[in-house]
Amino acid sequence: MNVIGDMVPALALSAPLLRVDGLTKFYGVQRGCEGISFELYPGEILGIVGESGSGKSTLLQCLAGLLAPTNGDIHFRNTQGAEVDVLALPEPERRRLMRSEWGIVHQNPRDGLRMGISAGGNVGERMMAVGKRHYGQIRATALDWLSRVEIEGGRIDHKPSQFSGGMQQRLQIARILVSEPRLVFMDEPTGGLDVSVQAKLLDLLRVLVRDLGISAIVVTHDLAVARLLTDRLMVMKDGHVVETGLTDQVLDDPHHPYTQLLTSAVLQA
Amino acid sequence: MANSSRHGECEAMRAMIEVQGLCKRFVLHNQGGAQLPVFEDVSFSVAAGEAVVLTGPSGTGKSTFLRLLYGNYKASSGAVRVRHEGQWIDIAGDAPRLVIEVRRRTLGYVSQFLRVIPRVTTLDIVKDTMISRGVDESEADQRARAILGRLNLPETLWKLAPATFSGGEQQRVNIARTFVDPAPILLLDEPTASLDQRNRDVVVDLIGEARHKGTAIVGIFHDDETRERIATRSFDLIPFKQAA
Repeated sequence: MNVIGDMVPALALSAPLLRVDGLTKFYGVQRGCEGISFELYPGEILGIVGESGSGKSTLLQCLAGLLAPTNGDIHFRNTQGAEVDVLALPEPERRRLMRSEWGIVHQNPRDGLRMGISAGGNVGERMMAVGKRHYGQIRATALDWLSRVEIEGGRIDHKPSQFSGGMQQRLQIARILVSEPRLVFMDEPTGGLDVSVQAKLLDLLRVLVRDLGISAIVVTHDLAVARLLTDRLMVMKDGHVVETGLTDQVLDDPHHPYTQLLTSAVLQA
Repeated sequence: MANSSRHGECEAMRAMIEVQGLCKRFVLHNQGGAQLPVFEDVSFSVAAGEAVVLTGPSGTGKSTFLRLLYGNYKASSGAVRVRHEGQWIDIAGDAPRLVIEVRRRTLGYVSQFLRVIPRVTTLDIVKDTMISRGVDESEADQRARAILGRLNLPETLWKLAPATFSGGEQQRVNIARTFVDPAPILLLDEPTASLDQRNRDVVVDLIGEARHKGTAIVGIFHDDETRERIATRSFDLIPFKQAA
């Protein structure tokens, strides 16, 4: 038995990694999302689905610390096993947490990459941000990560602007995962990519998340992506969660009228 | 639970699935709230080493019943308890993360269709079951090759993604990834439907071997001969059918 095999039973019994209570965001009088509560356990992948304007991106941005919620609480269990009140943390503490224990994969890789520095630099910078200093080691680890996301080692000194969209997205994923975050937020991770590139990226994400035991929250409007990548789903409409459950159960036996509409509107490929 | 494992209890008598008062009805909100009752108050139990075959004409809800056992459909009421590593988990009522855990280690499901991430190779699909259970890479590779060979899938296909395979080939990949490391409970929805006689025989053997090692099986088989060869008991859903 390897580490993963031994870990699994413990995971099922462990405490939640993230606890969200009554999270609400209003833009003036306009509702972004309202009264969102859920728990995320170690190793779980939660999908948030809904159409444009359903509030799923607002929710993700509030969770990931990119947007200040109007109301509600977010508790995160850190590496020391202590539960921290994320929204009450002093700014430097919160930034440290976001840098070391969290990662955000943006829909547009340009939002997550530094376009002016090399691929190796993009990966290395994240390592330096969490305290790594040895140049040789940083470069070796960067190379290792480039190969894990299937970018040739020979391109380590190239800038991301010379990469295709799919490669940029893979580089962004390497940059995020190199610091071994425990929680990753993904906003439409395969959005804007060709279908053939999407499939490969999905498999890469799935394998990396499984092997590293990462928890993830994935926002997508693509139900096929949700099915392949997530364990559990939250369906959002007008800023509220209307249905939750096992991903395949929500998609194959939807109960809420809106979820029934959403799943029946999908073209069968 | 009263029927937890006792010392000296015969393996063959050990209940693996306990269904109580299971009821299923679909409500179609976007079609005028139409109600489609399927069955009600089904109670059912399966022991380790049993192979229970669901019988009844199409439309009696056999596939629906299997999907409820797997948690793919949500029960309208009732409980679906399965024995998972010494404890009972209610597929119809416990937290999704527990159901996922049960599926990873205890509960396998073979449908008529292969649903996988595009572009992942056949070999990787079959290995994945074992790797997620902690089997090391080289052993997983060896076992995956062995079962694909046994199911007569040409070796030239192993490094390819199954999207372009024939129906029968895809079905064999689906069977391989489940039977390469049979879980303690297996749910089989017409796994032999598009197979020729030779491969159907292999599947019948695989099912028999899993059963002899104590796997509890619930299945649907469309042809009488396969059903006869596999079943230790049959279960008819017709008495539980609700009037529409």
